[in-house]
Amino acid sequence: MSTLLRNATIIDASSPYHLQKKDILISNGKIKKIADTIQLKENTNLVDLEDLHVSCGWFDTSVSLGEPGFEERETIQNGLQVAAKSGFTAIAVNANTNPIIDSKSDVEYLINKANNSATKLFPIAALTQKSNGIEMAELYDMQQSGAIAFGDYNKPIENDNLMKVALLYAQNFDGLVLSFPKNNAIAGEGIANEGINSTKLGLKGSPALAEHIQISRDLFLLEYTGGKLHIPTISTVKSIDLIKEAKKKGLQVTCSVSIHHLTLTDDELHGFDSNFKTNPPLRTKADTKALQKAIKNNVIDIITSDHNPIDIEHKKVEFSEAKDGVIGLETAFGAINSVLELEDFIEKLTTKPKAIFGLENYTINEGNKADITLFNPKEEIIFTKQQILSTSKNSPFINKKLKGKVYGVYANNQLILK
Amino acid sequence: MDKLSVEHLLGIKYLNPNDIDLIFKTADHFKEVINRPIKKVPSLRDITIANLFFENSTRTKLSFELAEKRLSADVINFSAGQSSVKKGETLIDTVNNILSMKVDIVVMRHGNVGAGVFLSKHVDAKIINAGDGTHEHPTQALLDSYSIREKLGSVKGKKIVIVGDILHSRVALSNIFALQLQGAQVKVCGPTTLIPKYISSLGVEVETNLKKALEWCDVANVLRVQHERMDIKYFPSTREYTQLFGINNQILDNLGKKIVIMHPGPINRGVEITSDVADSDQSIILNQVENGVAVRMAVIYLLAQQIKR
Repeated sequence: MSTLLRNATIIDASSPYHLQKKDILISNGKIKKIADTIQLKENTNLVDLEDLHVSCGWFDTSVSLGEPGFEERETIQNGLQVAAKSGFTAIAVNANTNPIIDSKSDVEYLINKANNSATKLFPIAALTQKSNGIEMAELYDMQQSGAIAFGDYNKPIENDNLMKVALLYAQNFDGLVLSFPKNNAIAGEGIANEGINSTKLGLKGSPALAEHIQISRDLFLLEYTGGKLHIPTISTVKSIDLIKEAKKKGLQVTCSVSIHHLTLTDDELHGFDSNFKTNPPLRTKADTKALQKAIKNNVIDIITSDHNPIDIEHKKVEFSEAKDGVIGLETAFGAINSVLELEDFIEKLTTKPKAIFGLENYTINEGNKADITLFNPKEEIIFTKQQILSTSKNSPFINKKLKGKVYGVYANNQLILK
Repeated sequence: MDKLSVEHLLGIKYLNPNDIDLIFKTADHFKEVINRPIKKVPSLRDITIANLFFENSTRTKLSFELAEKRLSADVINFSAGQSSVKKGETLIDTVNNILSMKVDIVVMRHGNVGAGVFLSKHVDAKIINAGDGTHEHPTQALLDSYSIREKLGSVKGKKIVIVGDILHSRVALSNIFALQLQGAQVKVCGPTTLIPKYISSLGVEVETNLKKALEWCDVANVLRVQHERMDIKYFPSTREYTQLFGINNQILDNLGKKIVIMHPGPINRGVEITSDVADSDQSIILNQVENGVAVRMAVIYLLAQQIKR
């Protein structure tokens, strides 16, 4: 069975067809032909969608699915379906499970569960056993089984020496270490960004300082150890400055920003709605503006949804009682595309994260594997709760206007449309 | 205007100056009522009020209960210690269970910030916030302002300093909002460790020298240190706190003017305030308690007016 994509505008700077409107014929999982018009033959599936755009398949570097242990939040099967329908042909899955993914067999379990899905699943294994921040897990063994990076999800490594040792050790096998940017002692029990809004609302503040101290520490360590460090979900102006300086010095540091930190601020907290409770907390308008700018000038390498499904029992409670985390796969494109230009952010969803996490990228060209996202960048929609395909419904974008619509993906020899 | 602009009393920040005016005028009437030989009026016959206290309280709970009974409402009381909350029931379920017994108004004290706002979105009753974590305690701020108005004629233009643990205080936050709505100037005074970093964004000045703060003000509202809300020690010892921020007669006598002393209670005598100050003629602490009943009657009465019967 072949698939013909009709009148698709190709968005792929590495392709000779970049910004051109073409017909694309895919056969046996490969791009067979790209031309102005290709005749539809028998036994070919025609995809003719309004204002169709295609790019290399998107990769989200921070996705939590509940399985194993929190299946009530999300299952691997449904999570991968949601990812495909949201335009992602690859997701890196956090060790945000129970038990925590901290051994070879855990990693293999995830990979086997995702076998043959359109969207590929890449495990991020825990850096420390049970993510307890005390002893390193068997990183090399897990890498051999398919783990693409190592990090304790949303938990900082408090022990400075352990972080130093991890950065040194991972160099033996070119491992990528993740360090969550939060100093627990300074953040304390803060549940909102310390600022005007937390003061008005009486919410215990978590100062931006907590993020800056941790990033500064990690950059000092990296300078000492060498090796590679990835800092997930930075959220403040000063964090950008710190990473910019480190990159100037030649340190191998990369970072991501979550879509909710790019687009939402702590002004949203006035209704005490736990769908705005995140870690790091939502920051200020000055921060979102600076983060958007840092995407454009390449200080930030990756945009992630930081998708974290939480069941209603842990969200429909008082703000301070609620678990933090929001779902974001389904609104990812529409939310980014509402604040940034396509050309400014597309590589932060594709080539950049794939290069950093060591995934292959497939240029849209004849003879290459078809790993493609299908979307319409102009259509505006109001995102409603009824549209949510994820098992958990904890989206901060409910009833918000988003620009752009995802049609689906062609990946792993499968066409998945919403 | 004889109607509140809000459907619940969740915090002072949701009110406007007319609301406060209306509450005070109504409270004037009820204050006269509770000083009559027969202190009870039939206004709220057939209205049922549940006092839900998920956190301990003596004064506020009694004051609300008395206010409700003086208005002839039916009253039920609940405290968390003896409830199914301990067995893992959620707040919405607990309250909905109580409401299914046909309750019209819920007065709630809860340890979680925003609990009242949260509840108002999920249950069908009037909610009065009797203190939610470190967020607001609106009836306390109303009775504080009412007491200043009674003592000094008005709140407008007056200089008020709030002394003590500002960081952990819902009373401070509600007072700041209430006083500003009425045109007063507000300063806060206390150890720098117990003053929120962004407090000045609320239009409040910070003064860390107690003597200067008292020289500036017309009224000092003194708060207690909330040890129970602290994760670490914010000052080395109570002795040292008292040395820096304790109010005694010696400081007051050297001011060259008589300021009004307030305290929302409970007082730690000898810590933030000495006994002779608490019991002096400058202190209106007991007036605050008396006014609390009248102000709470006013709030309950005005919200009950909105209930369709």
